Amino acid sequence: MGGVKYCLPLLLLSLLIAECASRPLYTLPSLAKSGTKKPLQTSRPFNVAHRGANGEFPEETAPSYMRAIEEGADFIESDILSTKDGVLICHHDVNLDDTTDVADHKEFADRKRTYEVQGMNMTGFFTVDFTLEELKTLGAKQRYPFRDQQYNGKFQIITLDEYIAIALDATRVAGIYPEIKNPVFINQQVKWADGKKFEDKIVATLKKYGYKGSYMSKDWLKQPIFIQSFAATSLVYISNMTDSPKVFLIDDVTILTEDTNKTYAEITSDKYLDYIKPYVVGIGPWKDTIVPVDNNRLTTPTDLVARAHSRNLQVHPYTYRNENQFLHSGFHQDAYLEYDYWINKIGVDGLFTDFTGSLHNFQELTSPLPKLQ
Amino acid sequence: MILTRCLPLIWLFLLTACAGRTLYPLPGKGGKGAKLPIQTSRPYNIAHRGSNGEIPEETAPAYLRAIEEGADFIETDVLSTKDGVLICFHDFTLQNTTNVASHKEFADRNRTYEVQGSNMTGFFTFDFTLKELKKLRTKQRFSFRNQQYNGKYPIITFEEFITIARDAPRVVGIYPEIKNPVLMNQHVKWPGGVRFEDKVVETLKKYGYGGSYLSKKWLKRPLFIQSFAPSSLVYISNLIDSPKVLLIDDVTVLTEDTNQTYAEITSDVYFNYIKQYVVGIGPWKDTVVPVSNNYTQAPTDLVKRAHAHNLKVHPYTYRNENEFLHLNFSQDPYKEYEYWINEIGVDGLFTDFTGSLHNYQEWTSPLSETSKSPRQLLSQIAALVLPYEKA
Repeated sequence: MGGVKYCLPLLLLSLLIAECASRPLYTLPSLAKSGTKKPLQTSRPFNVAHRGANGEFPEETAPSYMRAIEEGADFIESDILSTKDGVLICHHDVNLDDTTDVADHKEFADRKRTYEVQGMNMTGFFTVDFTLEELKTLGAKQRYPFRDQQYNGKFQIITLDEYIAIALDATRVAGIYPEIKNPVFINQQVKWADGKKFEDKIVATLKKYGYKGSYMSKDWLKQPIFIQSFAATSLVYISNMTDSPKVFLIDDVTILTEDTNKTYAEITSDKYLDYIKPYVVGIGPWKDTIVPVDNNRLTTPTDLVARAHSRNLQVHPYTYRNENQFLHSGFHQDAYLEYDYWINKIGVDGLFTDFTGSLHNFQELTSPLPKLQ
Repeated sequence: MILTRCLPLIWLFLLTACAGRTLYPLPGKGGKGAKLPIQTSRPYNIAHRGSNGEIPEETAPAYLRAIEEGADFIETDVLSTKDGVLICFHDFTLQNTTNVASHKEFADRNRTYEVQGSNMTGFFTFDFTLKELKKLRTKQRFSFRNQQYNGKYPIITFEEFITIARDAPRVVGIYPEIKNPVLMNQHVKWPGGVRFEDKVVETLKKYGYGGSYLSKKWLKRPLFIQSFAPSSLVYISNLIDSPKVLLIDDVTVLTEDTNQTYAEITSDVYFNYIKQYVVGIGPWKDTVVPVSNNYTQAPTDLVKRAHAHNLKVHPYTYRNENEFLHLNFSQDPYKEYEYWINEIGVDGLFTDFTGSLHNYQEWTSPLSETSKSPRQLLSQIAALVLPYEKA
């Protein structure tokens, strides 16, 4: 009798606790198998949200990426750099001056340094001089004064892990498009334990979250990804570590590659394209080198796209922006005319855009996806 | 004998046969019935000063381009020269949109006049004869727009503007504004006590314009006459039955002829009065949907009330450049068109970028879906009924 007296309240209490606090035995609807998620579209050029929807939100912040997914991005794009303590973060510039309020943080005033980056001296506050904890105290701001300033100081810099989580959490399949950014500089300034390099750490993180599979494979379609870099050696270096598709970025005609000091002419030659082809599925050129511009007018297109396509290399140019200062004269200040030209006349396979919603709109209006039966 | 006599006759015959007018109408000037009619099933695409996003405003190429791009109406501002000729020009001074400053022979025409209560200095249109104005060349007003046509095109007359519309391969409407009538009537006198407004109407009638809104006559030569001056519209109401539109400026601006406030001329009482004379209003869009911190706020009830009085609403002006697009439109003019057409429900839009508006409308409300011929409608109904026929 005494035993029951003790056990009963305890039992009831346990049941109560179990009822209220335990995990439900069914999977949360939001975490349903990715097989039930709306798949990635592959029937029209990819809408790549360049730094998120950064036409509207400060670039590379969580809201910027979530907004891009909301607006219909096929891929959310990011630049990977490192903190002082070797944490991988999403940030485009090696320095923090243009995109954060670091200048207002008196406690960091002594961190202003000068480094040589890609052959030029740069002064500012560099990500590699701040720990993650310190970076998290900064507020991101909109880089361009003519874009919405109302979110300045509100959002933090995010890590590669947080960025991946945003993509995986989306209610439809959303791809990621991370860039191995300034690897030469990062590897100079940041040393990881176990002798690992910047590129190793990135691949390790991607693998941790299950990113794998060659382009258009079943694995890839579940978690689409392109790994991009201006540094061909980095892409070659990781080619044995991951079969995820890689894209070789190509800068302006006057810029030398940061890792191999090669010229534009050299890395866009037939010989080089043949060389790089086994390692990448495509190239990502600056659009004004594909169709040169004179006096703000487009001139005759080069044969870069044709030569890339003949080698089965995709072309994903950057960057498309709505503002009239970025639109060349023939487009009459109308970004949709620019999309029309690049998609229908030049025939690119993907577009890095600051205005995900506009590209999505254009594509939905002119090449709507077939309705699922 | 007879042959030599007949020779001049034969020569004359040959001359007539080869050089005279053909007996059939030229294909380009085919019967009005053959032209593609004006669309009336979706909001009007009004080319504000022509396609002036691309080409200097109110020039022949700007209008031709607008027609090419799909404008329903080409819009213009009518002013007068010193010798009473009606021209297409927006500002009453010439320095912002022409190269008058580089014409040394006109240097002494830089004058100061009082306009609507303030002193203005510049080269006024009514200090130049048409012949003198034709020596000038227009330029693009906005520095961030295409400068490549600067110095190429002259100012055109109102009659030349009308001819462009009339000569278009499809029916294109015109939307002239009786511009600054108070100023014009002060500085330009026509014989017989004829006023500026009379001259505008006279020109329109000369080219066969007339007919109430959507009448058969109107559909052949569509026309809206607009003005910021209600008294001018009332004045011409007996002279021509063409539809008129009252333009409404910003909330702080008084009407130039009657000194009335924005609040007054947008009141229900006023709408009740003015609707006898106009078919619609043309408000500045930032008064219809106020703006704060470059974000649009909740719309006012202006459109609702206008529509309740059966007044159309044609706001101005829609521009592609991000400096004109409020931030909630993400620098995307198509988002702005979508908002105004679908959420606010306007009946026409004055745009500097005819092509973009046309694109938007063609993609989201193509005419083939919105306006069908009776035959098409019948076949559509038949297709719907067929499955149930053999029930």
